[in-house]
Parts: sequence; structure tokens; C-alpha cells
Amino acid sequence: MAARKPMFSQTNLVDTTPLPASIPAVTEIGSSSAPLLSASFFIGARCRPYNDDFMQCKTNNPGRGEVECLKEGRRVTRCARSVVEDINKSCLDQFRKHWTCLDNNNQQLWQCRPAEWKLNKCVFEKLQLEKVIPDTPEGEIPVHLRKRQMYAHQRLLGNGPADLDLIKKEGNAKS
Amino acid sequence: MPQDLPPIGGYGPVQYKRNLPVRGFRPSIMLLGVAGIMTFGFWKLGKGIREQNELAREKMWSRIHLIPLLTAEEDRDLVRRHLADQAREKQLLGRETSPYNSDRFVRPTFAVTPNQKSS
Repeated sequence: MAARKPMFSQTNLVDTTPLPASIPAVTEIGSSSAPLLSASFFIGARCRPYNDDFMQCKTNNPGRGEVECLKEGRRVTRCARSVVEDINKSCLDQFRKHWTCLDNNNQQLWQCRPAEWKLNKCVFEKLQLEKVIPDTPEGEIPVHLRKRQMYAHQRLLGNGPADLDLIKKEGNAKS
Repeated sequence: MPQDLPPIGGYGPVQYKRNLPVRGFRPSIMLLGVAGIMTFGFWKLGKGIREQNELAREKMWSRIHLIPLLTAEEDRDLVRRHLADQAREKQLLGRETSPYNSDRFVRPTFAVTPNQKSS
């Protein structure tokens, strides 16, 4: 995709024509970057198949993907929206704290671990979505669960995600 | 007249060695200490780099999970503008033309704006 946007030095081009009625409408995600970053791993956990479908469609239609993959695109957006709405419903407080923290810390995830642990815990309990970073080296604590965050302003973070171990045990017992 | 001779018992010793106090640890200990400090530093550096790698992986995956969503939104917008452009063209020219000899979707670099009033 040629990612060169039309630019005007004298004006902004605003085209408000809606999509034709033959293409179903979908509510856009309507969220800024910090909440999306905060929810990204949960979006990935639930919507991975839709995302892969969409990217596969784009790969299979080189040069036509924008037009051909609208259906898959709508599914992706709907799924991501459902995740954000569910988090808003069940864990609004923790979610809001985490993304506010991200906004205040230049969106550096390692500055906001305590808030993140609380959010992860809540989301896992209510929605069964877990944050997993793929391809983490074997035998290492995943970086988002480390008690000591080397690059954070506040390095030592209390007891760490002690609750999360408990959640994991419960999760294993369930499955 | 007697000859000029050294004094009886000879001259006193000439001090040709510097008489500076030896300060600090033995060189071997200094060397060991420096090696130790550097080993610690490199160990620490290695840990920091590993952590940075993991943080980078986390960031990349968070982005990977978001990219389809963002792309889908942008594609919809592009298609919407494209269709609107074509409709406008059809209305003005009576037919749809394309400057490209293929049916690839080309993101427009130029767009036609309504005539602006010249002051």
C-alpha cells in the first residue's frame, strides 16, 4: 500500500460522503492509542482468528485488499470492539487506571506494571482473556510479570504479581 | 701545595633514587579490582539488554495485535473516499476513468478539491 496521503498546504480535504448502502456499516473502534495499547493483548487473545483471516485476505489479494477484504475488516473491528466493550463493562476502573498511567508515562508499558497486573487479573477473572507474549524464551519469567522492572522509575514493585500465580493455578485447575 | 683530594673517608652517598611513598593497593590487586568492576558492569549490561529485548517483543506483539484493526479502519476510509470519488467522476464526466492500466487499488496522491475562491 502506497502510504502517501494527499496533502494540501492550504486546506484539509474532508470528504464526508458515507459508504454506499450496499456495504454494511460498522461502528468504528473509536478509541485512542493508550486504551488500545492497554487492551491490545486481550484483543489479540480473543480476535486472533479474525485478525489472521484479515491479514491472510490482504496477502491473497495484493493490490486489491482494500476493496476485497472489507468483510474480514468488519469482523476484525467488531471483535475488537466487543473486547473493549467487555473490558469497559467488567473492569472499567482498572482499565481506566492503566491507560491513564500509560498516557502519563509516554506509553511505556514497564512504567505501569502494578496497574497492569490489576487489570490483567480482573480481565482474566471476568472475561477469561489472558495476556501472553508469544515467543518468550523458555524458563524466563515473562517480562510483564517481573517483580523488578529494570527500566521503570519505580523499580521495585512490592510483592509483584503474586496474585497472578494464584490465578494461573486456578486456571490450570479449571482447564 | 697538596693536591686536591677527596675528603678522608670519601664523599657521602649521592641520592639518585626518588624517595616517594608507595600509595594505594598493589598493582595486582588494582588490576583484579578493575576486572571485577568491569565484569559486574558487563553482567549488568547483559541483563539490561535482555530485558530490553523482552520489552521490545512485548511492544511488537501489542502492535501486531492492533495492526489488523487499524488497517481495517483505514481501508474502509480509503474505500469510502474512493467510491465517493468515482461517483463524483461519474456525475461530472458521465463515465469512470482510471489513469492506471491495472485494476489494483491505488491510494490517491492527488485529490480534486472544489474550486477555491481566489481573493
